[in-house]
This record gives sequence, structure tokens and C-alpha cells, in this order.
Amino acid sequence: MRTTLVAALLAAGCGGGGPSLSGPVMVDLDAPPPAQLSAYRLFTWDPVTGFAFNQRVVPYDVNTALFSDYALKQRAIYLPDGAAATFDPEQALAFPVGAVIVKTFYYPADLRHPDDDLRLIETRLMVRHADGWHPLPYIWDAEQRDAVLSPAGEVRAISFVDTAGAPQVANYLIPERNQCQSCHARQDGPNAPIELVLIGVKARHLNRTYDHGDAIGPRNQLDHLAELGMLTGAPTSAEVPPAYDFRPLEATGPAALPPAELEAAARSYLDINCAHCHNAAGVQGMTSQLFLDHGNTDEFHLGVCKRPGSAGTGTGGFTFDIVPGDPDTSILYFRTHTEKLGAMMPLLGRSLTHGRGAELLHAWIAAMPARNCGTAR
Amino acid sequence: MQVARFTTLVLAAGLAAGCGDGTPASFPTTDCAAVTGARCVEIRGGDSAALQTQVNSIDAPTTIVLGAGKFKLTNQLTIRTNGVHLIGQGIDTTTLDFGGATAQGNGVDVVGNDFLIQDLTVLDAPKDGIRVEASTGVTYRRIRATWSKPSATTNGAYGIYPVKSQNVLVENSRAENASDAGLYVGQCQHVIVRNNVVTGNVAGLEIENTQYADVYGNTAEDNTGGIVVFDLPGNPIVGRDVRLHDNMIRNNNHVNFGTPGTTVAGIPVGTGTFAMASRRVEITGNTYQNNNTTDISLISGLVVEMDMSKWTLPTAGLTGKFNDLGLMPGDAQGLTIMNFRGENILVSGNHHSGSGTSPDLHDPMHLGLLLGFGFGTSPVANVLYDAIMEDFDSTDPALNTNKNHMCIGGNTGGTFATLDLGNQATAMKPFFRPAAPFTPYECLILNGGAVAPVVLP
Repeated sequence: MRTTLVAALLAAGCGGGGPSLSGPVMVDLDAPPPAQLSAYRLFTWDPVTGFAFNQRVVPYDVNTALFSDYALKQRAIYLPDGAAATFDPEQALAFPVGAVIVKTFYYPADLRHPDDDLRLIETRLMVRHADGWHPLPYIWDAEQRDAVLSPAGEVRAISFVDTAGAPQVANYLIPERNQCQSCHARQDGPNAPIELVLIGVKARHLNRTYDHGDAIGPRNQLDHLAELGMLTGAPTSAEVPPAYDFRPLEATGPAALPPAELEAAARSYLDINCAHCHNAAGVQGMTSQLFLDHGNTDEFHLGVCKRPGSAGTGTGGFTFDIVPGDPDTSILYFRTHTEKLGAMMPLLGRSLTHGRGAELLHAWIAAMPARNCGTAR
Repeated sequence: MQVARFTTLVLAAGLAAGCGDGTPASFPTTDCAAVTGARCVEIRGGDSAALQTQVNSIDAPTTIVLGAGKFKLTNQLTIRTNGVHLIGQGIDTTTLDFGGATAQGNGVDVVGNDFLIQDLTVLDAPKDGIRVEASTGVTYRRIRATWSKPSATTNGAYGIYPVKSQNVLVENSRAENASDAGLYVGQCQHVIVRNNVVTGNVAGLEIENTQYADVYGNTAEDNTGGIVVFDLPGNPIVGRDVRLHDNMIRNNNHVNFGTPGTTVAGIPVGTGTFAMASRRVEITGNTYQNNNTTDISLISGLVVEMDMSKWTLPTAGLTGKFNDLGLMPGDAQGLTIMNFRGENILVSGNHHSGSGTSPDLHDPMHLGLLLGFGFGTSPVANVLYDAIMEDFDSTDPALNTNKNHMCIGGNTGGTFATLDLGNQATAMKPFFRPAAPFTPYECLILNGGAVAPVVLP
């Protein structure tokens, strides 16, 4: 039955080899969100041929990814006809009404073979309305044919084999719709409105090459968007300082990194994994006064010799967020590698330790000149 | 009375919430027919999927009436809509149970104005019980936040936790067994906390970096510390204008099971109240009984953070009114202030009995040990002032200063001592133990006048 269906879809395809899209992307901002993801016609997915994107849907990747229990992610930007995003040197690119950011989370059976035996878990959309971004979580059905709008989210045990060949089980969080706002919220001042913002689509994270395959080939993402007329106001990519590319580090670990690169790698990692809350305008992070955005140069707010605000059990028994030279008594390291419910950071989306990420932060704190922070409690 | 039933996305998802189709037993106390104004939806007791779908589908003010029974939840209940009212059938009748949570999170996690939670229990949240953040108009009424295992360090941190919010009312509620603070008001403005019971927590009731708080009619019993007021370093809301009055604060001798490194882990067992790095605080008309270390400590923030630079805050970033407080400047240009000082505090008309008989000799800051030595066989004084940065003499009142305007004069029902804590590190020095009216601390009125009662809109 399944084979027949796939065969039928393949036959109906227009030479692309996968299921086809019956027309341009459909985003109706005035209607309630469709129950099925396929109604948007953003992309198709097929276990054999993979993802295929519609016109004006541009896939992208980021230099250092937000860790989500080792899930792989296929990201894309959709812009309506004639519309373009506007460059921003610091914050996320500014998107026009009607834009959609698409992110599909999936697992291969074995991370050593990231293109084989894929299971799509969920696709998260951020849809740009006149009043801001609307987050919409879709969960893929058991047959992997379509994804269904699922505001309640789910916590699902997912088994896979990690890059070292060891079996892992994640308590993977498919966020509730409202949990999107845990990470995507910003408030500029106590009485300002709370605004939903994007995390990954910042120039520094996007400034990298993406291989589009046959016709286009490998292109710098910022330059490619500009050439398509989908990004305005951008300097050439050579003028944009990129965030650290985590891929080599994921493969080999931080041991061999020279000091300057260690600093850059760690700050990029904190920037993408932590700074959506831990910045001075982060709704759920500002109470901590720990600001981990890449632009923060204030040592105290970076956590150096800083006592936590209200960390509760998250301290792990330690006194200071960062003790220079001593990662093993630093709360920041403890919280980012522990798997203890109630103590883990980031707050959402992690049930497993990110081995390489934890190693990086450990090495970064260890490389800081040792300092006595004061009385431990 | 107009009651709109609200079911759009719920029906779309095939999870009818059951407006009207619940068994009568599910809504013995209240239902949508009793709710005025907002849209209303009923969720049958135990239907966790319907509850999660509902709260994640609404975009307009909605009252959600929860039926009797236990809702087992694997993920936090996240509310990000203004005007959500969550109403159960009673504190012992409707329970949100997070004991089986497989995702990290709080119990109920809210950002939304005009939020109300009433008549239910939140049990065993992995992190905080009911956290409401960055919201204006917050009511907790007749609810309980608790953990099933007493004195477990693995329990969540805070039970009832409004933070960075304004116009907050917490009343007739219970907070129990939190590994940090049971009822924790943090960085809020305009707060009333009344007629609650906090028990079995490390800190019972905390008012942190908060402006304009009225705390009365509460019972704090069997915590490590009862009711405490403080500022933490580096936080841009400088606490002020807090009234603690007519509370019962007794038997707060619970073992300190706080995680080392937290502020509360430093609280000596047997503490009634402390005010740390606080100003314009009135502690009046309370009943203190059998708190083994001491009833009331007035202390500088330097006790927890000795590095003054960490108490420096740029005035440009401060929240609320502060220029009438006479805060210590942090630099010559007046661009920064420091808020570690305890100052301008009134302690008056409290009733003291049975406390100070067995100070905690093992607290990590050795405060109890110092008190044990200093007071010997007699009970520790009911009210203590660290007298950091004051002139000190153990016998002659004229050689003691009261630069920080600590007003103990009206607290004739209790004893008082100052500790010269800043100079105790090197040698054990005798304390200053004046008789009432405790000259030079005999003042009766705060600088800037009495703290006004809080009136919520």
C-alpha cells in the first residue's frame, strides 16, 4: 500500500523524482492556520529523494546550531512575490508581512549516516503577520505523509544511534505553541510590549556557504539571498563577521583549538544556545542578569565571579556562574551539561548532554586565567 | 450574563473540551455558568490533552474551568495570552500533577496580563510551581504549590513565584516543601501577599528586589527561615517600601535542605525574618515564637557578597523611583548607586516569645556560631542589627552611631543587640545589648515617612 502510494506520487512528479507541489506557496493571513502543513505547499519530503522546496522558498543553514537533542534540522525562508527581507547587522533580518520561516526537525536512525533512515518529527513555522510573528507547531504523522497542527505539543521518547555509535534515547520536546514564546520573546524595557523575534536568521549565523545542488551549487547564503532580490541593504558577505562554524569542532572536539578560536567558538555557542533568553531584553532570562549574547562585553553579566540570581537547584552546589580557570565548579558548565530535570540549561529542548558543546564550554572556562571569586557557600 | 463557549482550535484538533458534556460530578463547585464576562471553557477533570490544547489555542481572554480530579501532565502548562483565568474546583479537589513530567519545565508558566489562578493544587513541578513573569495584574487565590516529598533537595525551587510583574495579589494560598522559597515575590511592583500559609520550605516567604509590598496575615511555620526581605546584587529594581505586619512567624526550625550555592542555603536554621540590603521596610505587629536562632535580623548585603562593585548599578537603568532613597553613590559623577546597605527600617510592636534558645551552629556563614558564643547561655536577642559601617561600642550608647536609621524604639516587647559584624572576623567581640528604647536606635519613624499601604487597581 505504502509503496504503491509513493510510486503514484513519483509518477505524478514533474521529473524531480519526489512528490510534487500543485502550485505556488499558499499563506492566507486572514484565515485560521490550516490543519495540514501540506496546505502551505512550502516543500515536499520523500524518504528517497528528500526535501524539495517550492518557488521562493530558500533553504538555509547556520554556522552554530541551537542544540536540540541531536535532532537534525532543515531550515528555509519563504518570501512572498516581490518581497525582501532587510539586513540588520546585529538582530535578526527584518521580514515583510507574509514571510514564513520553516524548520523541520528530524532524526536519522544513526547519526553516522545522517541522510539515511530519516524520521521527520515536527515542522515549526513562524508566520509574519502585521502584528508580528505567529508560531505554529506541526507534528508529522506516523506515515510521514503530512504534518498536523498540534498546539499542545508532545514529549516523545526518540531512539537513535549517536556519532560514537552508542544508542541514545532523548525525551524530545515538541514544544507547545505557547512555549515558542519562551525562546522567541523580547521586551525592550519593563513597560514595553513583548515581541516575538527570530533567533537563527541573523547575518552572523547565516554567513556561510549552502550547497543547493545541481543548478545553483554552493553559494554564500547572504549573497544568494541578495542576488535573488530577497535581501536588501546587505553588504557583501565578506564584510559581515560570521559566527563560528561548529562543524569541524563537532567532528574533532575543542582540544586542538587555539585560544582565540576557542573564545570565538564558545561565544558563538552561547549566543545561539543561550542568548535568546540570556540577554538584557530576554523576557525569561533578564532576571538572572546573566547575558550571554555575543555583543556583551561586561564581565559580571557574562557570569564571571557572578553569584546566580534565582537559580534554585540549578546551582549544582556551586557558588558562581563562571569561576575562571575552574569549569568544574562553574554553574554555567554544570547547568549546560547536567541531564537533571530542573537544573538543565537551556530551559527547553534539551534532555541529553551535547557532548561537544559541553566540552567546548569546559575548555573555554578552563582557559580563562584562574581567579579567586571570593567566598564559596 | 453572557457566556460564550470557545472551542475553535480545540474542535479542529478533534479534542472537544467537553463544554457541558462533563459529568455533573466533575464540576461540583463552579462551572462556566458561574463565570461572567470572558469567554469560558470547561475541561473535565483529568483531561490533560484537552487542557494543553486549550491553553495553546486561545488568543483572547478566556476563563478555563477545570473539573475535579487530577490532571497528569508531562510538560509544563504554558500560558502566553492576556486575560486567562484558571479556576479549579477547590484546593483539595483539582490537582495539576507534574510528577510524571519528562520535559524540564515549571508547573504553570505564565506571561500574560490579567492572569488569575484559583482553587487548585500544583504538585511536583520539576522547576517552579506557578511562575508568572513580566505580567501586569496577577492573582493567586486559594491555591497550593507543593511537592510530595518533604525536605527533598530535588524538589522544585519556588512554589508561588510572581516575578518582574506588577499589581500582584497572593491570598489564602499555601506553599509547601520548596527547595528554595515557597512563596517568592521577585522584582515586582505593587504587591499584596495576605492570609497565606507557608510551611516546610527552606525560605517560607521571600520579597526580593520588590517595590511597594504589603505582607500581612500570613503564617510562616516550620521553614528554615520564615519571612524574608532582600535585594540581590546587580538587579536593577532596588527594593523599597515593604510592610510586614500582623503575620505569625513561628517554629521556623526546619533543616536547611537548600542546594549549596543558593542564597537560601546560607539561612541559619531557626530564622524568623531577615531584611538584607533593604530599605524602607516596616516590620510591625507580628507574632514571633520559637524561632531557635533569632526572630529578626537586619543585615547588609555584604554578608552574602563582600565585593561592593557587584552592588553597583547604573542609575540610568533603574526601575521605579529611587532618588528619594539616599542610596549610596557608586561613583563621584553620580552615574551609579550601590544598594548593599540595610537602612531606614522600622521594627515595632512585635510580640516575641520562646526564640533564640538554640542558634544554628552549622550555618555556612557561621552566623549562628557567632551568636552562640556571643549570647552564651542567654537567648539570642529577638532583633539583631549587624551594624556594618557604624561606629560601635559594646557598652556606651554614645559611641554607637545609627547612620542607617534603624528604628527599633517601638519594639519594647523584645530584646535587641548590634553585632559589629564587619569586625568579627578576626576576634570575637562582645555585642552591644542596650535596653529599650535601644538608644541610639530609638527612632520610631522612617525617613520619608511611614510606608503607605498598597492599593491595587
